[in-house]
Amino acid sequence: MERELQQFCDIPHVGGAFVCDNRGDVIVSSDPAVLATVAMNAIGREVGRSLLALEASGHKRLRLDFVFDSWRLLAHDMGEAMVFIVCEPGVDAATVRMTLDVALNAWQNDSRARKRLASRRGERKQLATPATLDPNAYRAWTLIQSETG
Amino acid sequence: MADGLSGSLAELPLRHLLKMLAAGEQTGRLELNSGLELAALFLRAGVVVHATADAASGDAAVSTALGWTNGSFRFEPGVLHPEVTITAPLEQLLAEGSRQVSEREMLQRVIPSPEVVPRLAAKLPADSISISAAEWEVLAQIDGAATVGQLARTLGRSDLEAVRAFYSLKISGLIELSVEPARPVAVVLAGKPFFQALQTAVAAAMGPLAEIIIDDALEDIGFTRRTLPRSEMSAVAERISREIRESENRSRFQQTMLAALRSHAA
Repeated sequence: MERELQQFCDIPHVGGAFVCDNRGDVIVSSDPAVLATVAMNAIGREVGRSLLALEASGHKRLRLDFVFDSWRLLAHDMGEAMVFIVCEPGVDAATVRMTLDVALNAWQNDSRARKRLASRRGERKQLATPATLDPNAYRAWTLIQSETG
Repeated sequence: MADGLSGSLAELPLRHLLKMLAAGEQTGRLELNSGLELAALFLRAGVVVHATADAASGDAAVSTALGWTNGSFRFEPGVLHPEVTITAPLEQLLAEGSRQVSEREMLQRVIPSPEVVPRLAAKLPADSISISAAEWEVLAQIDGAATVGQLARTLGRSDLEAVRAFYSLKISGLIELSVEPARPVAVVLAGKPFFQALQTAVAAAMGPLAEIIIDDALEDIGFTRRTLPRSEMSAVAERISREIRESENRSRFQQTMLAALRSHAA
């Protein structure tokens, strides 16, 4: 998995990439890490919650592209984990997406990668509990669930 | 607060959070995340004793974090840090933070970004204007082409320090500001070798209709073989890859095209 993540770093304007499990914890990251572990974990948790909320509200998405003034984050939902690519705004997004497709295909055909992902398998729903959300966010989450339900 | 506390800075701004923790005489680590920047503040019995934010530490780190209007926080009770870099009372930290936020807003109204280009004013608003030696040093570097950010680096100053100096020069009427004119960019075309590589890869993945598939993809994004710029080569390859149903074939095509794009970029 490290080799595929390193391929992202070879693309101009890509800072790095990492994979998080469904609890938001980092499984593997490009070396050197593009962000502090705590930042990668926070991104993993928050994007995991966003994917969960989109699915619960009937708008399931596999890819999310966050474009900010000074950086860009591409997130891909693998089901049992999430891949993140951290880029500068001027990145060639088509090249990043094709590299991502190639990496996903390689991991699907690699038994060691599959085993590694399976060992960290967890329910994404645990990101949306009263213990992991603040009261307002939890109220919003229960509202989404009750409306789509 | 044994289980900790977390939430959004938009809902509970840092200044209110710190007052709350001070009132409860809390001890622990307060982690803040503004999106990409992280900060950590350490409290002992409600008193802020150490802080780090990005490259700053101490009082400066608290001031930086007080300027964050969005992001999240998490307080972990009981976590201590051996260093003490802050001795000022909370009221003083909050006052300094407010002063810096107001200053940033005031500067931004005149110097909206470090990307603006300062130029010497054609006419002065008064018969004589006094400036300091430090301001003269800044004025002497203005060449009508470099941006505020670039001049800051030439002068070895931070963006904030440079913006302060340019603010004062602008208020004095000595300089005018303009957005850097966009330089015309020469379009580099994709060229024949790219289309030969693309045709071979599409034919291998999708068969004899390769030529038509390529022309359709080009038409979809508004180009022809003669007009496709190099910057759009990857978009064409990606568009065609989406039409390849079989995943192994698609992956092989993408790998071939990524290698071709790399060799064209080299």
